Amino acid sequence: MAILETKHVTKNFGGLTALQDVSFALEKGEVMGLIGPNGAGKTTLINILSGAFHPSEGKVIYQGEDISRLKANLVNERGIARTFQVVRIFKRLTVLENVLTAMVDRGKDGPWRLVWGSFFRRACAFNQDRDACATADGLLASVGLLDYRDERAENLPYAMSKRLEIARALATRPKVLLLDEPSSGLNPAEQNEQIKIIRQINEQGISILIIEHVMKVIMDISHRLIVLHYGEKIAEGEPEAVYNDPLVVEAYLGGEGNA
Amino acid sequence: MAAKQKIWAGLGLVACLALPLIITDRYIQHLLVMSLIFVIFSSSWNLITGYSGQLNMGHAAFFGIGAYASALLALKLGVSPWIGMFLGGLLAAAAGFLLGIPALRLSGPYLAITTIGFAEILRLVAMNWVDLTRGSLGLYGIPPLPGFWGIRFTSELTFYYVALAAAAWALFCFRRITRSEFGLSLQAMREDEIGAESIGIGTNRYKLTVFTISAFFGGFAGALLAHYQRLISPDMLSLGETFQALTMTMIGGLGTLTGPVIGAVLLTFLSEGLRFVEDAVKMDVRLIIYGGLLIVTILFMRGGIMGLWERWRGRSAGDGEEA
Amino acid sequence: MESLFLQQVVNGLIVGSVYSLIAVGLTMIFGVMRISNFAHGDFSMVGAYIAVFILAWVPGWFGWVGSLVAALAGVGILGLVVERGLFRPLITRWTDLDQIMASVGLFFVMENLAQLFFGATPRMLPDPFQGATVDFGLFSTSMMRVLCISMAVGIIILLQIYLNRARMGVAIQATAQNRNAAQLMGININLIYGLTFALGSALAGLGGVLYGTIFAIYPTMGAIPTLKAFVVTILGGMGNIRGAIFSGFILGVAESLGGAYVSMEYKNAIGFVILILVLLIIPHGLFGRSEE
Repeated sequence: MAILETKHVTKNFGGLTALQDVSFALEKGEVMGLIGPNGAGKTTLINILSGAFHPSEGKVIYQGEDISRLKANLVNERGIARTFQVVRIFKRLTVLENVLTAMVDRGKDGPWRLVWGSFFRRACAFNQDRDACATADGLLASVGLLDYRDERAENLPYAMSKRLEIARALATRPKVLLLDEPSSGLNPAEQNEQIKIIRQINEQGISILIIEHVMKVIMDISHRLIVLHYGEKIAEGEPEAVYNDPLVVEAYLGGEGNA
Repeated sequence: MAAKQKIWAGLGLVACLALPLIITDRYIQHLLVMSLIFVIFSSSWNLITGYSGQLNMGHAAFFGIGAYASALLALKLGVSPWIGMFLGGLLAAAAGFLLGIPALRLSGPYLAITTIGFAEILRLVAMNWVDLTRGSLGLYGIPPLPGFWGIRFTSELTFYYVALAAAAWALFCFRRITRSEFGLSLQAMREDEIGAESIGIGTNRYKLTVFTISAFFGGFAGALLAHYQRLISPDMLSLGETFQALTMTMIGGLGTLTGPVIGAVLLTFLSEGLRFVEDAVKMDVRLIIYGGLLIVTILFMRGGIMGLWERWRGRSAGDGEEA
Repeated sequence: MESLFLQQVVNGLIVGSVYSLIAVGLTMIFGVMRISNFAHGDFSMVGAYIAVFILAWVPGWFGWVGSLVAALAGVGILGLVVERGLFRPLITRWTDLDQIMASVGLFFVMENLAQLFFGATPRMLPDPFQGATVDFGLFSTSMMRVLCISMAVGIIILLQIYLNRARMGVAIQATAQNRNAAQLMGININLIYGLTFALGSALAGLGGVLYGTIFAIYPTMGAIPTLKAFVVTILGGMGNIRGAIFSGFILGVAESLGGAYVSMEYKNAIGFVILILVLLIIPHGLFGRSEE
């Protein structure tokens, strides 16, 4: 059953068409790879799925609900989390606080309830709340960041900051995780580690859509692939089949040639 | 560790309570009161700018609204200043909510100039609505806080305890708020707005909320000042007033709880220490010093005094481990 | 009625020409360096005082020409010093917040130093025409104001020629459009920064001299040109020079008409009201941004 799908999504920026009539469905529990040459519209698609942009035409359906017009925070509240190509961690917060912030149950009443609640807690600070910290520590451990727990996020090595972003996304308890190049800029050892982490996340039942340039990573973990080229979907299916699809080969070789 | 902290906090409290009994010089007591009022005012500015990253250059608007509202309520309608101070704060909070609306869309220089404009428009109203505000003459003869149990709040000594209680209450609120889920979310928003939205923080509502809360305390501080000085003028709404809060906070340490407290006390006393210079040159050199200190802080002392302290502590802790 | 309206429009255009001149400097600095200088109006104040002193020393036409040249050079050098001493060190590690606050600090330092050195007494620039006026039938104005608007327009035209024809002028525009590309083309960015800031400040200084032909000169006068220049700059789209020129005239006329028909007391608030409305409706100003 599809958990997240797009129906004929088109996105225009001024005169430019970044996405043209893209339809696809992410099945529950699967890892879907999203590939394509530079400028194919991959990140735009993730931005649309996560509510950062709204489609010019078409719809985004999540568990039967049309979420095309929802703002990013509401999309996240529904159960879709994401990471960014260029990390957007909270630099001057600690690693633990980065994760804690994402765990907050924000509810319908919004910030006022949180303000009110801050006067009635046992621990005087949220980052000393025992239950919350235990959960956060578990998440940090699962991505191998526990040693850096009280470090400021800006001091993390690059590979670790990428993992922190994943941990932070997981802290929002998502059903769908959108990963934008999680292993770009990592060395081979770090990439392997990253693959392992992503697999473990998927084994918990979280559906994953992943953009990746490193073919080894994408072939390794994807159940299925879709390929974008100049904003259009040109192929979809099993990794092996897609990889050998003449259209795809042509797109890569004729386009940027970085396959 | 926690026990040690409690001991320090207890000692600090005793010191604060005993201070005006030891220092009986009324002028110094006056400076202490002014420090405490500016502790509240600077800390409330710090909540918007330091914790949430929204550059608010019109904070004086809240200061002035609180002062004028409470003073006018007392003068025209006979409302007790004890209640008026909170009503003044609430009116400022309403203004804060309004000013928060442009902040939803603007940042950096755009927000700075819009907030300046907001305060400036209100200052012009205070200058020109002569029937109500007596224009640039200002309001005088504002009733003091009514006394009870035979205590009158007209002396520096008694008012000091009111201001101390107010500052303690405000700081308690700020501490709770900034260390809560809400406060952490504000800091996340300051660090990266898009990142914050991606984890479910609806930045618009958070901005409006923090503007409202911060404005409440700004207005409350203004009302406190009005019933202390018993004389207010449209200058309370000027950019210079915001600049004081800004400088105090920056020098103490932006985005920290202790920073504005240190800054407010330090600069209040420093600017009075400059009195003899001012008497010599027959003018106000305070703002030159403030501006100079602010520039030096930004250029050479990132994080202000609290930043220095953190670095010093970090280094000495590091040395300890090596040894 | 008809002539009052026209009179107000003319008055507005004259004041607006000064706003334009000052705002062009501000918008140039923002466009090239991404600096929002809240002390910009104080450079106008310094320019105005240069004129006060030179005209007290050398009255007459020589004094006027000397004032403009001295304001251009003096404020330009001051701008260079400020750029090197204050903004240059911040450029690598600033946030908007730090940079804006530093310039606000500078604003208060300059304003109060001026009070220290020049005294609080307002000064007027002497009228070289001894109060002569010209009557255009439907409206009239003083010769001094005619001089003011002609000088302002003249300087703006010269600036346009410089920016479009001169080698360094073109380099400034190129840097404003794309810093990296300009650097790749071998443009010395540090040189351009220094030049832009000096030139932008000098324009504020010249604007200050002309401002003094209309308004009184006093140490804290800088706040008004700063705020007006920001309103104009944002209305025109920050970094957009043409936008700033037009918006300056628009603000001048709007204030003049508002002062005459709505309320004299709130004349200075009109700009802010327009600004807030524009920012809420069209965030990038009337003329859009120069950078896309």
